[in-house]
Amino acid sequence: MAAETSPPAETVTVRIDGKEYKFPKGTNLLEACQTVGAKIPFFCYHPGLSSPAVCRQCLVEIKGSPKPVPSCYTSVSDKMEVTTNSPKVLDVRRQMLEFTLLNHPIDCPICDKAGECSLQRHYFDWDGMLARNEGAKVRKGKVVDIGKHIVLDQERCILCTRCIRVCDEVAKAPELTMAYRGSHEILTTAPGQRLDNPYSLNTVDVCPVGALTSKDFRFSRRVWELQATPSICPGCATGCNIEVHASRGKIHRLVPRPNPDVNKHWMCDEGRFEYKRVHTDRVVLPSITGKRATFDAAWTEAARLLGDDLSRAREKVGVVFSFQGTNEDNHALLRLAVEGLKIQRIYAGGHAAGWSDTILVSADKNPNMTGVVHLVPGGLRSIRELTADLAKGVLSTILVLGNEGVTVAPGTPAAIVSLATNKGPLVDAASVVLPVAAWAESDGTYTNKDGRVQRIRAAIPKAGESLAAWQVAAQLGARLGVELAYASAGEVFGDACQRHAFMRNAVWEPPVPPVLLRFGESRG
Amino acid sequence: MATAKTSTDTNRRRVVFGETDLSDFDEEVDLPSETMPLQMGPSHPAMHGTVRISLEVDGEKIKTSDIQIGYLHRCFEKEAEAATWTQIFPYTDRLNYVSPMLNNVGYAMAVEKLLGITDRVPERAQFIRVIVGEVSRITDHLTCIAASAMELGAFTVFFYLIKTREWLWELLEEVSGARLTHSYVRIGGVVADLPTGWSDKLLDVLAKVRTALKDADQMLTRNKIFRDRMDGIAVLSQADAAAWGLTGPVARSTGLAYDVRKDHPYLVYGRFDFDVPVGSTGDNFDRYAVRLEEIYQSMRILEQALAAIPQGRIVVDDPRLALPAKRETYNTIEAMIAHFKIIMDGLHVPAGEVYSYTEGGNGELGFYLVSRGEGRPWKCRVRPPCFANLAVLTKVLPRLFIADVVPTFGMINMIGGECDR
Repeated sequence: MAAETSPPAETVTVRIDGKEYKFPKGTNLLEACQTVGAKIPFFCYHPGLSSPAVCRQCLVEIKGSPKPVPSCYTSVSDKMEVTTNSPKVLDVRRQMLEFTLLNHPIDCPICDKAGECSLQRHYFDWDGMLARNEGAKVRKGKVVDIGKHIVLDQERCILCTRCIRVCDEVAKAPELTMAYRGSHEILTTAPGQRLDNPYSLNTVDVCPVGALTSKDFRFSRRVWELQATPSICPGCATGCNIEVHASRGKIHRLVPRPNPDVNKHWMCDEGRFEYKRVHTDRVVLPSITGKRATFDAAWTEAARLLGDDLSRAREKVGVVFSFQGTNEDNHALLRLAVEGLKIQRIYAGGHAAGWSDTILVSADKNPNMTGVVHLVPGGLRSIRELTADLAKGVLSTILVLGNEGVTVAPGTPAAIVSLATNKGPLVDAASVVLPVAAWAESDGTYTNKDGRVQRIRAAIPKAGESLAAWQVAAQLGARLGVELAYASAGEVFGDACQRHAFMRNAVWEPPVPPVLLRFGESRG
Repeated sequence: MATAKTSTDTNRRRVVFGETDLSDFDEEVDLPSETMPLQMGPSHPAMHGTVRISLEVDGEKIKTSDIQIGYLHRCFEKEAEAATWTQIFPYTDRLNYVSPMLNNVGYAMAVEKLLGITDRVPERAQFIRVIVGEVSRITDHLTCIAASAMELGAFTVFFYLIKTREWLWELLEEVSGARLTHSYVRIGGVVADLPTGWSDKLLDVLAKVRTALKDADQMLTRNKIFRDRMDGIAVLSQADAAAWGLTGPVARSTGLAYDVRKDHPYLVYGRFDFDVPVGSTGDNFDRYAVRLEEIYQSMRILEQALAAIPQGRIVVDDPRLALPAKRETYNTIEAMIAHFKIIMDGLHVPAGEVYSYTEGGNGELGFYLVSRGEGRPWKCRVRPPCFANLAVLTKVLPRLFIADVVPTFGMINMIGGECDR
């Protein structure tokens, strides 16, 4: 809260549960207690949003205060004495949970949030009393379609207003509001509005219970079967930090990972659907002119096509880098094609530019254009030039990474060696197709628009027979007399760091074993 | 039969039959000979459990033996690392599968020790655990005696005792739903109460057990064939028992009076009057006799327990450990959440290590648990009593006859599920 913007260094001494600690002035009391291990349950507080203190779950006792105080709304002050575990505080917590649970539907077996639900977690950790109320619970809207991606269950809502604040403060689109009062208070859309701002799915992340659920993820997999792998979103040049949640080799959802410098706690809705292309329309088998082949045969054929032309007419051979590929994949291609084979016609391309805003979304819809531009010395020709050159017959063979959407006019004489992940017109026209791993199956780095080099990690095994693009490049090199002795993506990274200034300070973060959400800290 | 033949061959053979030296021959020549390797098991009608004893025999005499276990290894300890604390109970059933209740109880007590709730397990639950545990012990000893007797040819004893075991299993089925794979015990208590009228049925069955034991005793204990096969065979001393880590009836047959129920009383064993039968010679017969007498002592415990069992809860009164009543679970969100968290997350067992030991059917059954504070164990090691008991056979099998292997192995009572896990 205030700690981020105020000038540093004034520290205050606070006594929490009998022990003294020092904190910078202005630290949020709830955060302060959490850092020293005095756990406090909360629903409406979120480190990335304003603090309304509506849920009253975080009440603590402060000496000198007649009533318990919401710790999420209080800053530490000098000589403050806080008790978070006295019988009175524990009793207050139980009471608040009892109120919250009074009208909560018995939906755990069918609720998406089960397993990562804050209400479940806090009831189990801090309460334990059986229900005292008998009689019917208040009924509200059960499956309310409030937006393009989101379904609302008004009965499960605990009225914490986190979603309203996400829309107001993060997305700057005040589409949600509370209506009515007391036991009948419901979450609903503002008059005439739908919940369809480009950041709407963040409300599903922040919702402590299963009131707001994503239509895409609803009922697709129970969360305790998911394994989380940290990675970076490939949707645009912002490079939001994400977690890939996968189970049994299939990705089920992407969620944002907090990074105060890049994306805070959020990501856009479009980015969340970037996992779909890992599982649809993939190219997973090597082929030669449309017929299935082994990798060995495909590499040999590709080497033949390239080798023939390189010896006869080097100036007619081209290489195409991919703004969608990692630094490592593009670097390996650079070493092979530009430094090793001395190919002169160098192109690069990726997805077309799109809309942008001032919140998170970049116009550049490629995760690594900055990386490729800095990797490849000299000028990069565009895809428009590529199509023109192909049409004019300037090129006889091209080695292409990605860029599967490039259309090639029928009857073009050029031979195309395509390192592809997904189907597309370029793949249909290719002479040799070498399948490569998709972004979620790769280890590597992307460089975002600010020059920040961020690590992506493989979350699922590679589909079909696909290999990492740098591996494919190394094998091609072996058959063309270019030695690229890489044993792992980390080695490619190390090589790239030494040769490129923009990567000099980059760090190859260590591998992280996927965390099974069931036994990890509950996300709720 | 060896017949002597006159031969003009220089390689004459001297044939000695008993003490008689056939006077036809006055030259003796040493026969070239070597030992023969012989495999007993792993699939063998007389080896109960699946184990291979690789023997080197000289005629009928065993020169060396190599006992190879592991044919029933099912990675219990590794599987336990992937299961929540409560999901391990079905795995424990399949350890010593002739006395599964004792395994359940042993494991539950280990987790309770780690949780620190050993004293909070309700009294009725403790009594029930003792009762079903002793019934399981009786079935274990009945199986051992019956199978060993059958392997020596006493088929009738086998049928009498297995029929008796069947009555006991019917009772355990009534209480838990399964004859063998009960999974009846839970952390903090047991899963369900004893059905009404069960105590009376048990007392009736115990009377029938007494009759069957009397018959078995009459058929075996002074039976010359049985005694000749068992007396003096595979003698173990008390020093052996201590040195080899033997426990249970095998150790007690040597004279070492170690019984976890008496020396480190747990649950409510301290309240009951019972003796620990102890042998004097440590041979096969003593092991049989100790087991037979232990069944009588178990019945003594059962009668006292059934008379003294109090009313009360059957599981600890802690909403974070015990599942709420189903009526609450289906009708209130609080109980639904508690039910959900207990099952899905697993119990929150604080980080730490513990070794907990009880008297299993074969001896000291130990569980060494390591927790990292999660809902599943970091490590769950079983100390199987018959592992150590079986190891001592490498000492006693040499110099025995092949035919002695069968009763010796039978009286060690190696249960594959427990030894190999």
